[in-house]
Amino acid sequence: MQLKNFNSISKITAVAIIASNALYAENYVSVEFLQYDENDNRVSVSAPSLSASYDIGTDYTIKADIVHDAVSGATPSWQPDSSSGASSRDNSGDYVYENQEFKEARNAGSIMLTTRFENRDELYTGFDYSRESDFDSKAVSAEYMHYTDKSHNQALNVGVSYAFNEILSYDYDTGSGASQKEESHSLNVQAGISQVLNDHSSVKVEAFTILDDGYLTNPHANVVRDYNTANQKLVTENRPDKRTAYGANLKYITMVGDDLSFKTNYRFYTDDWDIDSHTVDADVYYALNKKVTLGAGVRYYTQSEANFYNKNKDFFTNEEYASSDERLSNFDATTYKASVDFKQNDKVSYNLGAEFYSQSTGLDATMITTGLKYKF
Amino acid sequence: MIKFLLLAMSASLFMGCSLIKEVKPWEKETLAKPIMQFGGLHPEVTKFESHVYFSKEASRGGSGVAGGGCGCN
Repeated sequence: MQLKNFNSISKITAVAIIASNALYAENYVSVEFLQYDENDNRVSVSAPSLSASYDIGTDYTIKADIVHDAVSGATPSWQPDSSSGASSRDNSGDYVYENQEFKEARNAGSIMLTTRFENRDELYTGFDYSRESDFDSKAVSAEYMHYTDKSHNQALNVGVSYAFNEILSYDYDTGSGASQKEESHSLNVQAGISQVLNDHSSVKVEAFTILDDGYLTNPHANVVRDYNTANQKLVTENRPDKRTAYGANLKYITMVGDDLSFKTNYRFYTDDWDIDSHTVDADVYYALNKKVTLGAGVRYYTQSEANFYNKNKDFFTNEEYASSDERLSNFDATTYKASVDFKQNDKVSYNLGAEFYSQSTGLDATMITTGLKYKF
Repeated sequence: MIKFLLLAMSASLFMGCSLIKEVKPWEKETLAKPIMQFGGLHPEVTKFESHVYFSKEASRGGSGVAGGGCGCN
C-alpha cells in the first residue's frame, strides 16, 4: 500500500515538475544578434532582433518579435563593361558578370497567438510584416494541432498562410528608370503528423505545397539578349508569373544516454520551374553540465537549375523567360555549425553560435549569432 | 556526403521506429527537455538560419506556415 502511494506521488510530482517547467519556460524576453558576411566583399548583414513570449492564463500564449536587417555589399549580375567603354545597356559595348553594389535596410515583425482548447488542442494564428525600400510583405497564417490520444503521443497538424507582397520595379530596359509597383501572392499549405516513439524519441512528417503568383522576377538581376548581334542588349531578367511547389519534410529526434540529443531532418522539394532540391540536416546537443550545453551540426543542400536559367551572355535571344541569377542554378551547399549555451541561473542564459556556409557556386559565408534570454 | 547522412538518418530512424511505445505523461521528462525540441534550442537562431537559406537558395517550405516574404530573393 505504501509502495503504491509512493508511486502515485512520484508520478504526480513528475507531472508537476514537467508541467511547471513547460509553463515556466513560456514567459521570456530574448535579444539576438546576427552578423552574416560573404566572401569577396559581397553581402554583409547585421541583424539585431528582440523576441518576447507571454502566457495569458493557461489557454493563451502571445509571442512577438521584431528584427532590423542592415544589408550592404554587392551581388553579382550582368553589367555594362566599363573597361570596354560601355556605359549603357544597349549594344554600345560588352558586358561582364560582376558585383553590383547596393545598400538596404529591412524591418520585420511578427506576432503569434497560441490558443489552447479544453482538449488541449492548439490553434496558432499569426501576422508577419516585412518592409524594405522596394519590397513590402504582409502575411497571415493559421495552424491547428489536434492530439489524437489522451497521452498526447500523436498529433495531427494542418496550417495555411497567405502573403501579399508589393515590389517596386524600375524600368532600366528603356533607360527611363521609372518605378512601377508590382504585386505577388503566396499561398502555403502544410499538413503533418508527429508521433512519440518512446520516452526518448519522436518523429514528425509533413507535406507542403506553395503557390506563388504575380511578379516573381528579381528587378535587380539582368540577362544579356542577342549577344554579338546588332540588337544585343542588357535587360532585366524575366521569370514566370506562377510557381507551384510541393515538398515533404521528415524530422527525427532522439536522446542518446542522459545528455546527448540527436536531431535529423530530410526535406524534398520540387516545383514547376524544374527545381528539385534535397536537404539533409543533422544536429547534436550535449549537456556538458547543468550550465553548459554544446551544439554541433552539419547541413547538406543540393538543387537542380530552373528551366529558364543560363549564366552565359551569348545564350538568350527571344526566350520569354530568362535569368542568370546563380541562385536558380544547379549547385550544392554545405553548412557546418557549432554553438555553446551558458545557463547562468534559472532565469538568465546566453548563447553563441558560429556557422560556415559554402556553395559550389563559389559563395562562402560566415554567420555569427549571439543572444541573451531572460525568463520570468 | 548526402548518401552518408541519409544512411545515418535511416539507421537511427529504423532503430527508433522498431517499436512505438505508449508513453505516459509522467514519462516525458526527457522529451520535454529544451535540447529535444524540433525547433532547436533557440528558435530565434533557427529563424535567422531559415532566412539566410531563403535568400541564397531557390527552394523553401516545410518549416511551418508562419512567416512573410522578403525582397532578398
